[in-house]
Amino acid sequence: MMRRLRPSAAMGLTVAALALVLLPQIVSNPFAVDIFIRVLLFAFIGVAWNLLGGYAKQLSLGHAAFFGLGAYTSTILLIRYGVSPWIGIVAGGVVAMLASLPIGALCFRLRGAYFAIATIATAQVLMLLFLKFRNFAWGAEGTTIPNLGNSPWMMQFDAKAAYYYIALVLLAIGLAITSWVERSWMGYYLVALGEDQDAAEAVGVNVPRIKRHIYLISAFLTGLAGTFYVQYIYFIDPNTVFNFNVSVEAALVSIVGGIGTLWGPVVGTVLLEPTSALVQSWLGGTHGGVQLTLYAVILMAVILWRPTGLLGVLTGAYERMVGAASGGTPATTSAVRKGAPLDG
Amino acid sequence: MAAVVAQALVNGLLIGGIYALVSIGVTLIFGVVKIVNFAQGEFVMIGMYISYWLAARVGLDPVASLVVSMPVLFAVGVLLQRFLIRRVLGLGDMPQIFLTFALSLLLINLALLLFTADYRTVDTSYSESAIHIGPVYVGVARLIAFGLAMLLSGALEVFLRATDLGKAMRAAAQNRDVAMLMGVNPEHVFSMAVGLSLALAGAAGSLIMPFYSVYPGVGQVFVLLAFVAVVLGTMGNVRGALIASLMMGMAESLGIQFVGADSGLIVVFAVLLLTLAIRPSGLFGRQTR
Amino acid sequence: MGEVLAVHGLSKRFGGLRAVQDLSFSVGEGQTVALIGPNGAGKTTCFNLITGYYRPDAGAILAFGQDLVGLRPYAVCARGLARTFQVVRPFGKMTVLANVMTGALLRDKHLQVARGRAREAIEFVGLSAKQDRLACDLNAIDQRRLELARALATEPRLLLLDEVIAGLNPAETDQAVALVGQLSRRGLTIVIVEHVMRAIMAVAQHIVVLNHGQKIAEGGPKDIAADPRVISAYLGSSYSHA
Repeated sequence: MMRRLRPSAAMGLTVAALALVLLPQIVSNPFAVDIFIRVLLFAFIGVAWNLLGGYAKQLSLGHAAFFGLGAYTSTILLIRYGVSPWIGIVAGGVVAMLASLPIGALCFRLRGAYFAIATIATAQVLMLLFLKFRNFAWGAEGTTIPNLGNSPWMMQFDAKAAYYYIALVLLAIGLAITSWVERSWMGYYLVALGEDQDAAEAVGVNVPRIKRHIYLISAFLTGLAGTFYVQYIYFIDPNTVFNFNVSVEAALVSIVGGIGTLWGPVVGTVLLEPTSALVQSWLGGTHGGVQLTLYAVILMAVILWRPTGLLGVLTGAYERMVGAASGGTPATTSAVRKGAPLDG
Repeated sequence: MAAVVAQALVNGLLIGGIYALVSIGVTLIFGVVKIVNFAQGEFVMIGMYISYWLAARVGLDPVASLVVSMPVLFAVGVLLQRFLIRRVLGLGDMPQIFLTFALSLLLINLALLLFTADYRTVDTSYSESAIHIGPVYVGVARLIAFGLAMLLSGALEVFLRATDLGKAMRAAAQNRDVAMLMGVNPEHVFSMAVGLSLALAGAAGSLIMPFYSVYPGVGQVFVLLAFVAVVLGTMGNVRGALIASLMMGMAESLGIQFVGADSGLIVVFAVLLLTLAIRPSGLFGRQTR
Repeated sequence: MGEVLAVHGLSKRFGGLRAVQDLSFSVGEGQTVALIGPNGAGKTTCFNLITGYYRPDAGAILAFGQDLVGLRPYAVCARGLARTFQVVRPFGKMTVLANVMTGALLRDKHLQVARGRAREAIEFVGLSAKQDRLACDLNAIDQRRLELARALATEPRLLLLDEVIAGLNPAETDQAVALVGQLSRRGLTIVIVEHVMRAIMAVAQHIVVLNHGQKIAEGGPKDIAADPRVISAYLGSSYSHA
C-alpha cells in the first residue's frame, strides 16, 4: 500500500531524480562519469545486501558468490553461445538466486559471526572452483569480453552515459523492491526476525522460509550487478568477481550509511566510493592497501560512534535545519511512515 | 603407500598443533566474551613479524622470541578489550562482528603499507633438518613447534581448571550473570581472556617462523581454518578446539597429498560444510532440537 | 469438554541433567491450569518442549488432537498456541504497534486488518497511549504487557504464560490477574507458570506441581495448598495451615 509522502519530500525526490537523469549530460569528464557509475553500481549491490543483512540482520560476507555467479553465467552464455547479455543478465540473476538455496540451507544453520564466516567460505569455494575450471570458464586468467564496438543489443556502448543509465535503472529497481518490501507484511517479518529470531518464531513468523525468500531476492539482484560489472569493464576472472572486497563493500556501504534503511546504502556509497577512488588515484599505485585501510578506519569509526550508520545522523541534522527554518517541529521521515516498523 | 599416508598424517598433526593455538584463542574469546574475533589471524601475523624483526636485528631464534611476542600480544589483548571490545559489548551481533572485522582489515593493510607484500623468512640452523621416526621424516622445527604448542595448550588447560582466575573465566563463559553475583569481575576476566588468547596467537606466530613465511595476509589462512576448527569442536569448547584443530591439520595434509597442492583450503571448507550439514553444534555440542 | 492440550510421558535431558522426566498432564478446554514448582523444576523447559524450541527425547504432545512433536515454533503458533517468554523478548527497534502487528500478521497478511487487530490487543493490555513508542524504550512492566499483546494478536486458542506476574507490586498483580481472568472468560485456555501464590490461587482451576522435572502433585488449589509434599518442596510454612 503506497503511503503518501509529504509534499516537500516528494518534491525533493523528484528534483533529485531529475538531477540524476541529467547528470551525465552535464558532466562529460569520463573519470567523473566512471565514479558516478561505480557509485550507482555499488549502491545497488549495497541495496541488495541490505535486504538480507540490514533488515533481516543476516550478516553475509560472501555476496561476491552471487556477484561472480551472475557475471560468469552471462559471460559464458555470451562467449560460448552468443547469447545477448540482456538475456544473460537475467539468467545470471536466476543462477545466483538458485545458488542461494543450497548456500542458505547450509549457512543458515549458523548464526551471527559464524554465519558470516560460512558465507565467506562459500564465496571462497566458488573462487577456487572457478580458478580450476579451465574448460568451461577460462580458469585463473579469465577472459576479456570481445569488443563488438557500439552494440546496444549486446550491452556494449561507446557512450559511457549508457552504462550510467543502466546502473541508474538497476539502482532504481533495487530501491523500489526494498521500498515495497519495507512497506509490506514481509518488512515486519524481516525486521522482527532480525531483532530476535526465536521471538519472531513464537508469533508465527516462518523464519526459515522468510530467510530463504529474502536471500533469493538479494542473490538475484547481486547477480544482476555482476553481469553489469563485467560488461562495463570488458573483463572477467575469478579473482575479480569472487573477490572478498566485493563482499566487504556490499556490507560496508550499508553499515556506514544506515543499516536496514532504504537510503542507507546510497548514503554509504556516496561517501565511500568517491573517497576511495580519489585516494586510489592519489596514492593507489605506489601504496597498495590504502583504500582498504581507509575503509577499515571509517568502518571502525562508525561502529564505535554510530553503529546504526550515518543516516540517523544525517536525518537528525536535517531535522534540526528544517526545524530551525520553519520554526515548528518537523515531521521526520519516519513519522511520515507512522505505524510502520522502522525508524529513520 | 602406508608410508605416504603416515607422513601426511604426521605433518598434519604437527601443523595442527599450531592451528590449535589459534583456534583455542578464538574459542576462548568466544566462550568468555561472547564475540568472534575476526582479527585473530592478524595477531598471529604480528607475532611472526615480531619474531622476524628480532631475528633480523638481534639474531634471536624465533622460538626463543616467544618470551617477547607473548607478553607483547598479551598486553595488546588487554588494551583491545579495554578500549575497543568493551565499547561494543551488548550492542548485538553487527557491531561486534564488524569491529573485529574492521580491525582485521586495518591490521592487514597497515602491514601492507609498512612492510609491503613481500614474503619474509627466518632461517635457523634447524629450519631444514629432520629426524627419522620409523618410515616418517619429522621436521625438527615443526616438532619443536608442535611440542611447545601442546605445552602451551596444556598450560592453558591447567590454568582454566586449577586457578581462581581460570575458574572465573569458565564461570563467566557459562553464565555471566551468576558469575557476577559470585563476585567475578567481568571486565577483569574479559581482559585476561583476550590477553591470553592473543598471547597464544603470538606464540603460534613465533613458533612457525622457522618454517613459514610471513606476509601481511598470512593470518587469513590460519583464521579461516581456526574458525572451522572452532565450529567443528563446538564453539566455546577449548578441548574441542584442540582436538578439532589436530583433525583439521591432518585432513588438510591428506588433501594436499592426495588431491593437490592448493586443495588444502577446499578440504577445510568441505569439513565446514559437512559439519554444518550433519552436526551443526559440533562434535561436542548439545543437540536441543 | 475437550482436551486442548495433552502431554504424555514427556522427557528431555541435557547431557547429564534430566530437565523433564516422564511428565504427563492435560488441560481441558477453557481451563486455566497453573504449572508450579521450585526454580529448576523444569517448567520453562516444558513450555519450550510444547512450543517446539526443544525436541523431546520421549513422549507425546497433543494440542487440539494434533501431534506437535517435531513442529517448529512458528508452526506450533499457527496451530493456535501462543506463549510469552520468562525474560521478555520484544523487538526492540520496532514500535509497540509494529511489534503487535507482527503477531497479528499471522492470521491475515493485510496490513490494515493486522493494524486493527493489533490495536485491539494493545488496548486490552492497556498500552494504547504508548503504541508509537519503541519497544526498547518501555519499562519492564510495559514490555511484559507488550509481550502479552503480541501473543494475543496471533489469535491463540491456548496461551502459555511464563511468569508474567513475578516482580509486580500488589496493584500491578491485581491488574494482571484481572487480565488473565478476562482472557479466561473469553474462552481462552491458559497454562500459566507462576511463583506468586496469590495470583495462582486467584486464577487457576487446576494446578500441576513439578520438582526436579517430575510431577509430584496435581489437583485443585485447595488440595495443592494442603498437600504436604508440595509444601515441603515449595510453598513454605505460611501455607501449610491453609
